Amino acid sequence: MEPRYASLVIEGLKGARVRFVVGLPDTLLAGLYAAADDDPDIKYVSVTNEGEGASIAAGAWIAGGRSVLVMENSGLRAACEALARLGLVNGIPVTMLMGYRGDLGEPYHWGVNHGITMEPLLKALRVPYWIVDRDEQIIPAVTRAVIHGVSSLYHTAVIFRTPLVNERK
Amino acid sequence: MKRYELLKELAGMVTKDDLVVTSIGGVKPEWYSLMPGNGTMFADLLGCASPFALGVALTLPHRRVLALDTDGGVLFNLGALCTVGKEAPPNLTIIVFDNEQYESVVGAPSTHTGGKTDIQRLAEGAGIGCAATARSIEGFVQNTATMLSDQQVGLLVAKIEPGVFKEIPPERYKESDGIEDKYRFMRHIEQLEKITIRPRYVRE
Repeated sequence: MEPRYASLVIEGLKGARVRFVVGLPDTLLAGLYAAADDDPDIKYVSVTNEGEGASIAAGAWIAGGRSVLVMENSGLRAACEALARLGLVNGIPVTMLMGYRGDLGEPYHWGVNHGITMEPLLKALRVPYWIVDRDEQIIPAVTRAVIHGVSSLYHTAVIFRTPLVNERK
Repeated sequence: MKRYELLKELAGMVTKDDLVVTSIGGVKPEWYSLMPGNGTMFADLLGCASPFALGVALTLPHRRVLALDTDGGVLFNLGALCTVGKEAPPNLTIIVFDNEQYESVVGAPSTHTGGKTDIQRLAEGAGIGCAATARSIEGFVQNTATMLSDQQVGLLVAKIEPGVFKEIPPERYKESDGIEDKYRFMRHIEQLEKITIRPRYVRE
């Protein structure tokens, strides 16, 4: 993700009073992790897997620190058990920001499966999501996803697709 | 030593200003029977207690946060130890009740801690500066007191006998579900911190 788009994501997060970002870096959103880590107003926590990340984000949220989990969409699979328990058992929201690996035109054979499973998993978990591909959608999508998480007490997701994300050349 | 004996000691050390996160398993009904107040989040996810408590501790750095984890929980999510070690919030203490088995699954093989795995050494390797193992009630009390007051992240492994305390009075049974537990803990934090976490109308 180019710095200009990452800046818009950060602006959207701040607009929703998010100051706590949990992440496991991937290529498509690479610029966003760096932007969050460099921002003095944001606490960025790097995790070792996305399920752990969901638990940390949920702990921050319930303590009053609105949070998001940033990851590749393959991380959704890794986080499913944590998300199911935190969401369906406790009603503690985790707002996820993901890059759309496996989108139509995916250049890597290993990335295709991410696209096959992402939306069915989001639907199985009943997670409202917004797939965005225009820069003017970034701020409203991020802000609304966070707000919807607080009002619904359930997970939400924003997925960024080309041209907002791109491969490292 | 038995977990319930240790929890009774711990209940005398935890104040109304502290926040506690428990693992699933026998620790949950036992701790509730001793501390039924709203200062505890009773997690419903294996491997969640320590990372969830880490999120709480990082968000509220002025408040003592205690995770009551288990060997099964820590082993399920080992990477979380590394994140705890990396972030190292001085207000977080993790107690791992290690009975070397999946207690709810009677007759199953032991957890890895019944073999060569040593959670204290794992914690040290993960960067958790203050790590110890207690094999007596006195050692548990002494180490816990130190870790709750030393202003550094700590992890204490308490080697315990298997078994859940069977004589909890009916009025001390935990009957609430995960939704009620969430609301109680969240409203408790709102009162403690004088903040609103979930407003009636959510503004930007």
